[in-house]
Amino acid sequence: MLKATTSLGVIFFPAFDWAISPTHPEREERLLYTQDQFREEGLFDIEGISEHRPLFATDQDIMRAHFCFPSVEAICTESHRISAGGAIQAARLVLEGETRRAFALVRPPGHHAMKVVHGNRGFCNINIEAVMIEWIRERYGRKRIAIVDTDCHHGDGTQDVYWHDPDVLFISLHQDGRTLYPGSGFPYENGGPRALGKTINLPLPPRTSDEGYLYAIEQVVLPILADFKPDLVINSAGQDNHYSDPITNMQFSAQGYARLNELLKPDIAVLEGGYSIKGALPYVNLGICLAMAGCEYSGVREPDYNSAALRESPETMETIRQTCGYVLDTYFHPPMGDFEKEGDSFIRERKIYYDTDGILEKQREELKDCDQCRGLRLIKTSSSHLLPCLGVELPIDCCPACEREGYEAFARSGKEFLVSQLLDQKNKQFRYLPKK
Amino acid sequence: MRIGIDIGGTHTDGVLVDGSRLIAAAKAPTHHDNLLESINQVVQAVLVDQDPVRVRTVNLSTTLTTNAIITGKTEPVGMLVAAGPGIAPKHYRIGDHYHIIYGSLDHLGTETLALDEQDLEEAIAACREQGVTCFGVASKFSPRNPAHENRMVEALAGTADFISCGHLVSGQLNFGRRIHTLYYNSAVWRTFRAFTAALTASLKGFRLEAEVNILKADGGTMPLARAQEMPVQSIFSGPAASVMGILATCPADQDLLMLDIGGTTSDIALFAGGEPLLEREGIAIQERPTLVRAIHVESIGIGGDSLIQITDGQITTGPQRLGPCMAAGGPAPSLMDALNVAGMAAFGDVDRSRQGLAALAADNQMAPEQLAQQAIEAALDALTTKIDALIRTVNTKPVYTIHEILTDRAIAPARLIAIGGPAAVFRDLLADRLGMEVMVPPLHGVTNAIGAALTRTTSHLALTADTARGRLSVPMLGIFRPVARGFSLQDATAEARKLLAADLAETGVTMAADEIQITQADAFNMVDGGYTSGKNIRVVAQVRPAVIARLDDTTTTVRIAGSP
Repeated sequence: MLKATTSLGVIFFPAFDWAISPTHPEREERLLYTQDQFREEGLFDIEGISEHRPLFATDQDIMRAHFCFPSVEAICTESHRISAGGAIQAARLVLEGETRRAFALVRPPGHHAMKVVHGNRGFCNINIEAVMIEWIRERYGRKRIAIVDTDCHHGDGTQDVYWHDPDVLFISLHQDGRTLYPGSGFPYENGGPRALGKTINLPLPPRTSDEGYLYAIEQVVLPILADFKPDLVINSAGQDNHYSDPITNMQFSAQGYARLNELLKPDIAVLEGGYSIKGALPYVNLGICLAMAGCEYSGVREPDYNSAALRESPETMETIRQTCGYVLDTYFHPPMGDFEKEGDSFIRERKIYYDTDGILEKQREELKDCDQCRGLRLIKTSSSHLLPCLGVELPIDCCPACEREGYEAFARSGKEFLVSQLLDQKNKQFRYLPKK
Repeated sequence: MRIGIDIGGTHTDGVLVDGSRLIAAAKAPTHHDNLLESINQVVQAVLVDQDPVRVRTVNLSTTLTTNAIITGKTEPVGMLVAAGPGIAPKHYRIGDHYHIIYGSLDHLGTETLALDEQDLEEAIAACREQGVTCFGVASKFSPRNPAHENRMVEALAGTADFISCGHLVSGQLNFGRRIHTLYYNSAVWRTFRAFTAALTASLKGFRLEAEVNILKADGGTMPLARAQEMPVQSIFSGPAASVMGILATCPADQDLLMLDIGGTTSDIALFAGGEPLLEREGIAIQERPTLVRAIHVESIGIGGDSLIQITDGQITTGPQRLGPCMAAGGPAPSLMDALNVAGMAAFGDVDRSRQGLAALAADNQMAPEQLAQQAIEAALDALTTKIDALIRTVNTKPVYTIHEILTDRAIAPARLIAIGGPAAVFRDLLADRLGMEVMVPPLHGVTNAIGAALTRTTSHLALTADTARGRLSVPMLGIFRPVARGFSLQDATAEARKLLAADLAETGVTMAADEIQITQADAFNMVDGGYTSGKNIRVVAQVRPAVIARLDDTTTTVRIAGSP
């Protein structure tokens, strides 16, 4: 009988009664065959691998990570709270020492959900990793956390949530944004002025296979992690780099995914995308679980797996090598971006499209250029569906001046804004105006 | 009238029940090398002055298979295992004749590698050479497609006396458990068959024309004919009989706990709304998980004979046992001795208890009463911790739908039923500690046999349908047939009920349609290339363990049969 060499808790929550729509990739059937594979392989009979149910994310849990407009209830259904609760359960298992590692195999996913949320983008409403990380920091204090996003799509939501946070290193590996949704994630996207080099983007050419992907892990991700020395490594474990995925163009395999986890050794993995529900997910998920638990996984392969046919061309490998060299340098020597400034604030003005819900958001972010702390952040946002709202964020190391200014802005916001939300990481105050 | 017989480790108990009345009860020593002798003695005793022809049912809980496995008196089994990719089949190796056959199916039941005929031929030849005649055949994902298993069965024709075939054992997916279940089933088959042949002959001698059922670990029974095909299901039926005995003798319609306190260990079971909770997948045999359905019973090393020790000033009770308590002539102070010293019990030679505790207390500069009190506390701590953990585990078991997360009712037992020798002594202690009502029912001397007598047949089946491929399967019944595109979840549940009822009827059991529960009924919209291609339907139907009557509050003298 197999035994785990590293104990692993799996939060398996397939949400068998929830879909975006009956034929949407994010539908009830998505994890059905993964469950069949797990059951037939007896995954939870392996000593050291246990199965757990998700917790339930409260309003406060979500308000620590997001500005939800007009309200948390308007953005989050039970499904999102349970999915985020699955990630929280994973964190609880690891931080309380119940298991050494944990894998939240939950849906719906979250990595396209940004700091401000008006609706669903790229199948995501709330960022379940971010909700989890803020839950961890609330209970276990300030931590250095590395998120490695291995979903095939750029993790633009997670990047946005931690854009200004130097305690969180975000590394995304994804199919080149010029060829795939959401069309971002280029190497020059390196983080805000206070967190430069803490956002790393590694776009990979279409048809990257095991060799190229693992080259990027070994040559870029591992050296950066060795330098950053995180307290926790979190894997946003999308499974859509698989050669059979219907909405992407990569050639990664179950063996590749298992090896990736063996190299990365994440403390916590959280499922993101992956929509080849019969041909990939049963094998990829099994491979990831076995690798995370330190079990032998060499027998895990797709019935039609043919490594020779999937191998990337020499040209593709050359492109990957060049990108890797450049990206590694953006961590150690991040180029000073041309951050726009008005007065004593850094300004970002953006339009964000919510593809699933058809919402167009207009956003203006003002980050105080403060020499005492990371700076107060004000986000003014409106959408095709909503009058202007305000988000006020006080960083964990907020100085008294920024704190005063933030609370004043929040208190007088009622005149100008429909709804405003306070996110005070320092004093752990999270609330709306008007009071809900 | 019904006869219930429970063969225990020390005693064999028998009862005769008429409706809800206990007519007679008997006890005889268990002769492990001649169980039939013990059965005969109790049957004879309960039938005194009775007309045997009126007995319609004989239900038997036997340790035969359990003991055969524990003592290694099993026969060699040729295991033919076809696995393919995934976790390697070598990890489930069991017995000395384990053969891996090349060939595989995927999770949809599609053949991805044909079964290697040469591997198969060689494996069978090797078994034949070594005189192996009992077999188990298993292929990964056989409940989705039995073709490989069926081919292996076919190839064994002329070689095998008996074959356990994977998909017929359970519709449930779990390859490792399937392998283990098949192995144990074939390993005890011959022993069990010999026993049932002798049993049938012997019951005829009593002019009994009753149907004979064998108790299973899930608390239900199976007809003898079924038991001969699936003898492994008769394993560990003792604890199940005692749980069913509680159901038959106590008002048990809410959440409650059962605690069976023995000498070395205590067993804990949990009832949700009066139904005993089952193991999620099946019970483990010799630490090998199987697909044998069983009542979930947690064992803890606390009993009347649990040893009291003091290490570095820390007082512990159990899990070791050096022998009986000192009050019964044992070598060292135990929990029962502490209860004697604390004045809560007056069992056996109380003076010996006092002497034992006094000596141990003196060595550690404390008063004997103080030691007794703390030893009892330690035992209660251990029991409480175990009970809390069990309730927590059950209330946090994995679920797979949002509906279940939002509506799942937490199980919160407010009553504990204590049985077993020292149960009465523990009543007030447990009530105080757990904040629960604690009941110690009468009749506990033959509760297991009463449970056996009054329990009914249980059964289950899993039905899956894939309307995109037009296939319906009920692996346990060997049904794999085409199904119409329009087949719905409603059709599937109706079909599952019908098939289960028909299968029971075939063995002579009539079950009202509403006695069949549907425990799973899911239909998934299947999408291929962006369009709905069909439905993937999964239904599980079962007849849950239940007693057919609750016993009246009458008491009957227990006859002692056979030599003491």
